[in-house]
Amino acid sequence: MSGWEIFQLWLVAFLTLALFSFMYRDNPIYKAVEHIFAGLTVGYQIGLIWNSIILQQVWSFVLEGKGWRLIPAFFGLLMLTRLSSKLSWLSRTSLAFVMGTTAGIFLISELHGRVLPQMQDTMVPLNGGDGFGATLLSVVVVVGTLSTLVYFYFSKEHRGALGVTAKVGIWFIMIAFGAHFGYTVMGRVSLLIGRVQFLIEDWIGSFL
Amino acid sequence: MSFWQKMEQIDRRWIYLAVAVAVVVPFLFPTPLPISISPEARSLYDAVEALPDGCNVMVVYDYYPATVAECEPIAVAALHHLFRKNCKVVTLTNIPYGGPSMAERVTRRMAARYGKTYGVDYVNLGFKYGYVTVLAGMGQSIESIFPTDNSGTPLSQLPLMDSVKNYSDVSFIFEVADNATADYWVSIVNAQYGVPIGCGGTAVQAPKFYAYVASGQFVGLLGGMRGAAEYEKLIGIEDVATVGMQAQSMVHLLIIGLVVLGNIGYFVVRKQSKKGAA
Repeated sequence: MSGWEIFQLWLVAFLTLALFSFMYRDNPIYKAVEHIFAGLTVGYQIGLIWNSIILQQVWSFVLEGKGWRLIPAFFGLLMLTRLSSKLSWLSRTSLAFVMGTTAGIFLISELHGRVLPQMQDTMVPLNGGDGFGATLLSVVVVVGTLSTLVYFYFSKEHRGALGVTAKVGIWFIMIAFGAHFGYTVMGRVSLLIGRVQFLIEDWIGSFL
Repeated sequence: MSFWQKMEQIDRRWIYLAVAVAVVVPFLFPTPLPISISPEARSLYDAVEALPDGCNVMVVYDYYPATVAECEPIAVAALHHLFRKNCKVVTLTNIPYGGPSMAERVTRRMAARYGKTYGVDYVNLGFKYGYVTVLAGMGQSIESIFPTDNSGTPLSQLPLMDSVKNYSDVSFIFEVADNATADYWVSIVNAQYGVPIGCGGTAVQAPKFYAYVASGQFVGLLGGMRGAAEYEKLIGIEDVATVGMQAQSMVHLLIIGLVVLGNIGYFVVRKQSKKGAA
């Protein structure tokens, strides 16, 4: 391992431990590392936008004689007029373009790619012929979908049959939250394991 | 003050310490635990296994450095499987922060392990801003979106890209994601171009992605480190995820214990205070 690699390894280990130190109590080293992270993020973002948008998407094309690329760049610059109260109206043209294209793209892709297939998947046969287990699952899907939708129907007071169905819906929502929370705990623990793996195997392992 | 009252006021730093011990101990004293295979991981493995040898596959690194611990083992396991089947791999990322360098580092490391040549067996397209435009545009022409690869080499100089012009030349997409970009691979690429997608996501994302598996929009799913460990088992490799799962199980046991203790404590203290009030 070269001297530079060893330095990098120790730097990463120091930054990890400095951030972990917050678990004991807030301290100046944690604060310093937190600020370094924030500064790095902003610097990285500026460099990335400069390189991948201004140079790659605009300037390189202009140099190739595709001057029309300056037109969308001009509309992009108009967004900055929002910083001035007198000129901010100019940004509406760009915003209208963004909203229009976004709505157009997403209307089709969301409807065709997510809403319809997911709706179709809830319309399952209750006697599909795959045995009792499959039928039970289909019932759960249908009851869960309908009762959850009823829970979010607020135009009528949740009383009587509507109230009971909404209550069933709450149970489904709570179970879903529980599953999400369980997975979230697992995910966060995995991230801790990743850092500990680095500290034990890469950092401590490098000088043992 | 009773034992349960003391437990209710315990300094949370003791819990942090207990979690730290539960994570560290399995690394010092490894005790292999059985890993069962979920149907979602099995179907993803089967889908990759059914691909013809030497076909073109996209591996997408849509995760941030913060979730490397969960997502990188998935990407590594996927590349093991794909390179073993001699698939031609085209990688890209929609993540600006660290995405291009992670894709480069992981793919090159795995390619070197399997003796693959850059430009012939694999290409890293890198990153381009605006994932909706990127995903939709690649359906027409990959070269129009990525005129060069991650290192600035024009795609026309990379032999592999002669046979990968758009999605119709891609047999399978292995999306590794920790965010909503996976939704757009479903709604734009799978729905509009019909390319089968297998997904490896963080555990936080997994519950949402199950809906896509059920509807057939994902052929399979690997959820977090556990999913990676399952895939490692399926391809017969014991790597970081399999080792990490020992610590994971220890912490889960600890958390279950703490939840049970916390609930018992809550009811006992409530009973004691009711008695006290009476």
